[in-house]
Order: sequence, then structure tokens, then C-alpha cells
Amino acid sequence: MTQEPALPAAGTDPEWFKRAVFYEVLVRSFKDSDGDGVGDLRGLTEKLDYLQWLGVDCLWLPPFYPSPLRDGGYDVSDHKDVLPELGTLEDFSRFVRVAHERGMRVIVDFVMNHTSDQHAWFQSSRADPDGPFGDFYVWADDDTGYPDARIIFVDTETSNWTFDPVRRQYFWHRFFSHQPDLNYDNPAVGEAMTDALRFWLDLGIDGFRLDAVPYLYEEEGTNCENLPQTHAFLKQVRKMIEDEYPDTVLLCEANQWPADVVEYFGDFAAGGDECHMAFHFPVMPRIFMAVRRESRYPISEIMAQTPVLPSSCQWGIFLRNHDELTLEMVTDDERDYMWTEYAKDPRMKANIGIRRRLAPLLENDTNQTELFTALLLSLPGSPVLYYGDEIGMGDNIWLGDRDGVRTPMQWTPDRNAGFSAADPGRVTLPVVMDAVYGYQVTNVEAQSTNTSSLLHWTRRMIEVRKQNPAFGLGDFTDLGGSNPSVLSYVRAFGDDVVLCVNNLSRFPQPVELDLRRHEGSEPVELVGGVHFPLIGELPYLLTLAPHGFYWFRLVRAQREAVA
Amino acid sequence: MNVERAVSLLAAWLPHQRWFAGKNEPIGAVRTVAATSLREADPEVWHLLVEVVQGDRREIYQVPVSFRDVPDGRLDHVLVGEAEGRYAYDALHDKDATAELLHRFDAQDRVDGLSFHTEPGAELPLGEPSLVLTAEQSNTSLAYGDAALLKVFRRVVPGVNPDIEVHDALTRGGSEYVAPLLGWLEGRWVSPSGERQEAGLAMLQAFLVTATDGWALATTSVRDLYAEADLHADEVGGDFAGESQRLGLATAEVHSAMAEVLPTRVFGPVDLRALAGRMRARLEAAVVTVPELTPYAPSLAGSFDRLAGLGRPVPAQRIHGDYHLGQVVRTVVGWKLVDFEGEPAKPLIERVALDSPIRDVAAMLRSFDYAARHLLVVDHPGSDQIAYRAAEWADRNRAAFCEGYAKATGHDPRDDDVLLRAYETDKVVYEAVYEARNRPGWLAIPLAGAESLATGTGL
Repeated sequence: MTQEPALPAAGTDPEWFKRAVFYEVLVRSFKDSDGDGVGDLRGLTEKLDYLQWLGVDCLWLPPFYPSPLRDGGYDVSDHKDVLPELGTLEDFSRFVRVAHERGMRVIVDFVMNHTSDQHAWFQSSRADPDGPFGDFYVWADDDTGYPDARIIFVDTETSNWTFDPVRRQYFWHRFFSHQPDLNYDNPAVGEAMTDALRFWLDLGIDGFRLDAVPYLYEEEGTNCENLPQTHAFLKQVRKMIEDEYPDTVLLCEANQWPADVVEYFGDFAAGGDECHMAFHFPVMPRIFMAVRRESRYPISEIMAQTPVLPSSCQWGIFLRNHDELTLEMVTDDERDYMWTEYAKDPRMKANIGIRRRLAPLLENDTNQTELFTALLLSLPGSPVLYYGDEIGMGDNIWLGDRDGVRTPMQWTPDRNAGFSAADPGRVTLPVVMDAVYGYQVTNVEAQSTNTSSLLHWTRRMIEVRKQNPAFGLGDFTDLGGSNPSVLSYVRAFGDDVVLCVNNLSRFPQPVELDLRRHEGSEPVELVGGVHFPLIGELPYLLTLAPHGFYWFRLVRAQREAVA
Repeated sequence: MNVERAVSLLAAWLPHQRWFAGKNEPIGAVRTVAATSLREADPEVWHLLVEVVQGDRREIYQVPVSFRDVPDGRLDHVLVGEAEGRYAYDALHDKDATAELLHRFDAQDRVDGLSFHTEPGAELPLGEPSLVLTAEQSNTSLAYGDAALLKVFRRVVPGVNPDIEVHDALTRGGSEYVAPLLGWLEGRWVSPSGERQEAGLAMLQAFLVTATDGWALATTSVRDLYAEADLHADEVGGDFAGESQRLGLATAEVHSAMAEVLPTRVFGPVDLRALAGRMRARLEAAVVTVPELTPYAPSLAGSFDRLAGLGRPVPAQRIHGDYHLGQVVRTVVGWKLVDFEGEPAKPLIERVALDSPIRDVAAMLRSFDYAARHLLVVDHPGSDQIAYRAAEWADRNRAAFCEGYAKATGHDPRDDDVLLRAYETDKVVYEAVYEARNRPGWLAIPLAGAESLATGTGL
């Protein structure tokens, strides 16, 4: 028996990421294979069958590098190895191979902007200013430089400069004071990072999520974000991977307004020559706001402000991820509003965001969870699911920093939720145990056997999405309509035309849609295949249940053959 | 069938049209005032102005008609009549006829007394099919695709058309708070009494895609509040204050733009005394029609006395004149103001008269009160708890509107309390009469407003 290769031959599918459903998985919290209480690469490899069943196309792994773990692993102390408690380089290679055999790709987080202060480069730089790494970081004799750069972690840091008692100079850091920024003005830094990228690409991965890219370079008199030098460096990286590693994707994390983020895609006329993908940050808080306000305008507005992308590029969109629900991309009024609405306990706030998982943010309301997921799967961009949200996992707001949303995956009702065989006291983070979201009720095993579960529903919707290329590749037209609580849009790719109608209100709603452009088409509901009445010239009337939604394919009616 | 035959059919057809104003009186005669051929091939299209005589009343109506040799089933609902084997239809529903209108705009044609104008640089959606929108009462509007809207004024009043005039001025001034004007149709004719007359007949403007009117948005918020037993207006998810504030800002920006590009003047003591006198006269007349106003009348009249004695000049300018939540639409790029015709029932001279912009502010504040309370009278009569919530919602959104207005002008309308209160009182009086005559079930809304103005519990 010959088997089809699970993935297309290398170099034949450069735009796979436009159609893909991504899944962010924290290695340390997904599955522990050796009973030490910490999830690991072997454990993740064991669970690839589950992820394939769910319909995931690409896994995104946040940092698994050696690290003192003072910032969830984003404080990398060695860019070319695996943190020992998560596994070995051999485990990583095997994980990538097994994922590829199941038709799934792998992208990994890569921290370009800074390192841990424990990194050998920094230790050498502070000890030997004239040595080979002396100029790898941004040093200064005082803390007055770059005064226009804002402080990002406002609740822990007071300055972007910290005094180092060893070198007796100040070093520059845009994030925590234990994460010194690399000095990209030194060409050796760019070369060292490119070398590290090649190292992982040679192990077979399919791309990188580039962390915090807007901050690579500094320049006096600017806010030190999105500088032209930063874009030039990213273009070099893009050229390298294009020449040497086809079908590889660069996904940049630039928490900026879409009009600024679009710079990271590079030259429009060339189809994009910088990053292939970027996260669309503002769309997420606005989905929450629109539903709470029962008004489509928070979403419609941000979609109207979203620029057209170069032809080879795609947005990445998400509802929740390992970070807090970021509120940098809303106005001050809106942020106050989001805080009062969604972070009723002050412990739910982190920096200028909210640290909660999807289900508790929505008070475990099934209809809302389904509506949010339907929006995630149908708005323009490739959706990124966050591990555990497919079963409606909860969070633990009593854990520090952002650990509250990084608790172990809940597999079964057994000890440690089936995550680990360790003594419960040794598990990396405590398993959620409350009465609503606890692992005894909320777990993969229980939801796998129940076909009406959120897990099965999510799997079904992913499958429907894949049957209609318009979701991944189509353009987007907001339809407006008579009812401000109903968000309706058409996604169209060639003759695949999909109409999505979403009731953002908790009450039943009617809506009249202007579908004149599709006069004569027949809406066919995508989940059940039910045929709706033909579209005529007059407004098309639909009624929706509270937080209900429809996905239709608009099928051109066949003209009857003339006898 | 020729034009004269078609006009003879109108007497039977007009009373069934929504936009026909004289429904409760028999039609004495319908005469042709002007007839212009716009298309000779089938369907033949004629632009008609006709004079309708009803007793002493003479009104001019605009009725474009298309003639077809073969009946078109899709136009059955707008058939004017059939004669001599030809069929006459309301041409605004006939896509071949409306395409012809767009081509005439594009060519900036002048034919007989009609002149088609376009704004410099306007792009017309040639080739887009039209569709008549159903919501309208007194005019007929059609959308060409989702690019342009043609508003055809059915009842023609000789003189400058304020809707076209204001849109033209604001479009040229670059205002982002109205739908840009693309073109307009002007007509000149000689009336049956031999007078030379002219008027703006139709207006072509950018179509506001995905827009919803402010009334629908505000009442969504109110419904959300009513559904919560224990939450206050600032606590519920559907809070509207942010939108109200942005609406206040948009209103102020439009007022400033109108003051810049259209005439202004200053009301002196004589003008204010005359204004207060007109308001007082309306109150006195209203008390006769709506005796329920009697207990509040002395206190309400006090607002007008204070206006008469204001003792400082008040700037006056062109204003919207019929401002309420149904005259603003929310689009993905913010609020837009629509419909600058002024209050339709008033004579043209009053509709274009200069007035304080505080009149518009007062009218919108009253509209917030309506939005808050109308569900109360319809769905929840007698619920004190919900009445309390309604008052909270109205107060919160009225305040937010004023804050937004102040943000744009640096001047909070609440600081003009004498003016604001007088205009609001005048509006309440007008509403009470209107409701008593047309919707007695809603009379409670202006009466509650009158009570709060009389007892001084308002803003």
C-alpha cells in the first residue's frame, strides 16, 4: 500500500498559511510524558493524534529554549537548545517529523529583540566591554537616552534603562529589566540571530512567530518603534528563508494599529517582501466589546480601517492567547469600559490587559462561546486557537503574572487531569479544580464521547471552514443591514461566496440584508446543508436566536436549460 | 397613450401614494405644469410636474412616468394606468428610466426647464441598477448599487431647496459628517397662474453603506437596560454614552461648518423678545389642545420670560431644524447627519430661517428622552422601576451628548441654560400637541418632559 505524503512536496505550497487553522500549545502545560510534573516534547508528540483529529493545520510553540523562566520562557538564555525539563533536540526533531506525518506544520516562537540576562552573550558583554560580545547590547553611561520610548510593562518597570553594577553602565530594555535588548546596530548581532534561525529551519520547522519585532533598533528623537532599519533587517531575513527554505512562514508580533502593522508585510507591489503574517491585535478586544454593546460598530469600524494586504500575506487573528487580553489597541475610554465589563476582580488585570481565558470571560455561556468561535473562524485572517479553549477550559486568577491562563491541559477526570503522573504537589502549575471549569467536568475525554460537546462543535466548524476556501482566501464585504446588533459580511473567493450573519445581542433579532449583488443565488446553510429561499431584489429577511449565527454558501441558481 | 392621457390617470393614482400629502381631501383637478421628454425609445420616459388642486389648495408634485408597450410584471405595483394598449408606470421604479436619469446627470444635461448638475470631481455609478428604498415617507429615494442615493422630492416647493443647499455648502466645505453631494436636479417652469418659478427637484449623494439610524441604535441600548433589573445605565453592556458623546461632537462640527459657509447673524434683544413671544403663543395654543399641560404652563412660560430678558446677543445661523435621532446615521466611519430639509410641515421661509444652534441641541436632547421612554409607554406602562431606569439613561446620554458638543466647540451648551431650557420647553410643547393629535398613547412622553422642565429637575 502506498501512502500519500501528508504534506505537499517542499516548495509547492508557499501560501499554505492562508488556509491554515493554527493552534497555540504551551509545551510545559500540554502533556507530561515522564512524570516529573512538567509537560514536555515527548508528551506533546503523544497528543498529535488528538490535534490531527481536531483539524489543526499548524502548531505554534511559544519558547521552549533554555531560560531562567522569569518571563514564561521569552527570556531566552540559549537560542540553539531545548530547556532540559521539556526535552532534547532529538525529541524536538522527532516531534516535527511526527507532526509532518500527520499533515501538520510547526512554527516556533523566536525572540529577536532581547535575551535573558543569563544569556552567555550578556554575561560576556557585562564582564568584558571590549570582548567579542561587548557591543551585543545597548549600553550607555546614563539613563537619559531615547526618552520618547514608552514603557511597555507599566506595572513592573519604571524606566527602559537599568544600571548594571558589573559593567557600571546602564543597559537598554523595552521589556523587563532582566531582558536586555540586543544591539542591532552591531552587524554581528544580526548575523548571530540569522545563524540561530537557520539552526531551527535545518531541523525541519515551517516558520517562526517573531516576538516583539517593532523594537529591534533604537534611534534618538524617535519612539524607537517601527524604525526603517528594523524593516530592512526583516527583509533580509525574509530573503534568506525564501532562498534557502521555501514554504516557510514569518509571523510577526507587532502590537500596533493595522495601518502601522501593514508596514511589516513589506512592499505592496511585490506582493510583500517582509513578514508573511502579522497578528491583527485590535480585532480581538473589539469582538468582546461589540458583543457586550450588542452593536456591530466596534468590529465594522476596525475592519473598515484595516488596509488591504499585499497578495502573498495574511492576518493572524485570535480570541485569546498565552498573554493577557491586550488592550493597547483600544482608546482610553474603551479600555476603562473593557476593564469594568470583563475584569470585575482587580486580580484579573495584568499590565494594560485582562488575564482570563475565553470561557470565563464569557461566563461559560455556550451560545456566546460558539458565536465568538464562529467569528474567529470567519473573519478575514487565519485563526489561532489557544490550547484548552476548544473544551472551554477555565483559568486560575490567583496564580501570578499570566500563569493563570497557562494551567495544564485537562485530558481526563483522573489525577492531575491526565496531564501528568506526578505527585499533584509537583505539577508545574496547579490544575484547575473549581466546580464549573474543573478537570472533573471539563476535559477532553468527556467531551470526546459527547457529540454535542464544545469540542465536537469546534471540530465540525473547523471542518466546514476547510470546505470553503473563501474563509481563508476570500475578500471581505461588510453588508451593514437594518439592525445595528447584527454583523453580516460576505467572504468571496472566485465562485465560493460565503455569507456570515451574526447576532451580537442576547435577544432574538431580525435583520433585513441588501443582497442585490447576489440576486438569484440560493443560500445553503453550511453546517446542516439546508436550502434557504432564493435571494431576490428586495431586502432578505432573516431572524436569529440570541447570540445566534448563520454561515451560508451563496450558490448561483442553475439556469434551466432551454428546450 | 400620451402624456396628457397619463396625467388624467393621476387623480385616481396619487391618493394611494405614501408621499402624497393630500390624502384626506378629494382631488379637484390634476394639470400638467411641465412635461419633459427624457427618452424616446421603449420605455419612453417623461419628467412631469403636475399641479394638484384640492379645494383652495394647490400643490405641485413631481411624477416621472415611463411608458411601455408590453406590460412588465415586476412593475405591477407601480402601474399608473393602462390606455390604448400602452402601460404607464412610476418611472422611479423602472430601472431603464432611472439609468437614463443617471446618464443625464453624467452629461450635465439641460433639457427644457430641467438642469442636471454635478459637483466637481463627483463619480457617478453608471451602470449600477437602482432600487427604491422603502423607509421613506414624503419623498422617494433610490439607491444605485451601494454607491449613490437619488432623493427625489415629490412635493415641490418653489424656491431654494434647503437640503440641496446645505449639502452643497457642506460638501464644498469638506465636512466629513454628511454624505457628500454628487449632483442635483433643478427645474424652472411657468405656473398655471403665469408665474416664473424654480426649485431643486432631486439630489444625488454618496450612499452611506452599512449605516444604521441613531434611533435604532439608541433603542437597542435602552432595551438592553430594561432587561436588567438591578444594573444602572452606566453599568450595562449596551451603554450608549460613548456614541452619544461622538454624536455631540459630530453635531458641533456640522454647526461650525454651517456657520462658516452659510449666512449668520446675531439675535439682539428685539429678536429674542419676538422669539420668546412666538414660543409663548405656541404654549398658550397648546394648553387649549392639551389641557394636561395646564399645571405646568406658568412655570414653562417662565423659561420664555427669561429668554426675553436674556440681555445678551445670541449668535444665529442656519441649523438642521428637524434634528432627532432618526436624522443621524452611524457608519463605520462615525456619525453622519442627514436630511437638512427642516421641519416638513413648516413653510419654506421658516425652514431656512437663521436660528441658534442650541435649538438643534435641545431637539436632540428631547430625542434622547423619547428613545428612553417610548418602550415604556408601549411595552411597560406603569412600571416605576423602569421609568427610573429610563430617566437615568436619558440623563446619562443627554449629558454625554453635551460633553461631546463641548469637546468640539470648547463651549458646553448646558452653560447656555436660558436658551437651552427655552428651546427644550418649546419643543416639548410642540411634541405634546403632535402626540395629542396623532398618537395619544405617547402623550405621556412629552408630559413627563414638561413636568421635569417645569419642576426644574432636567439638565
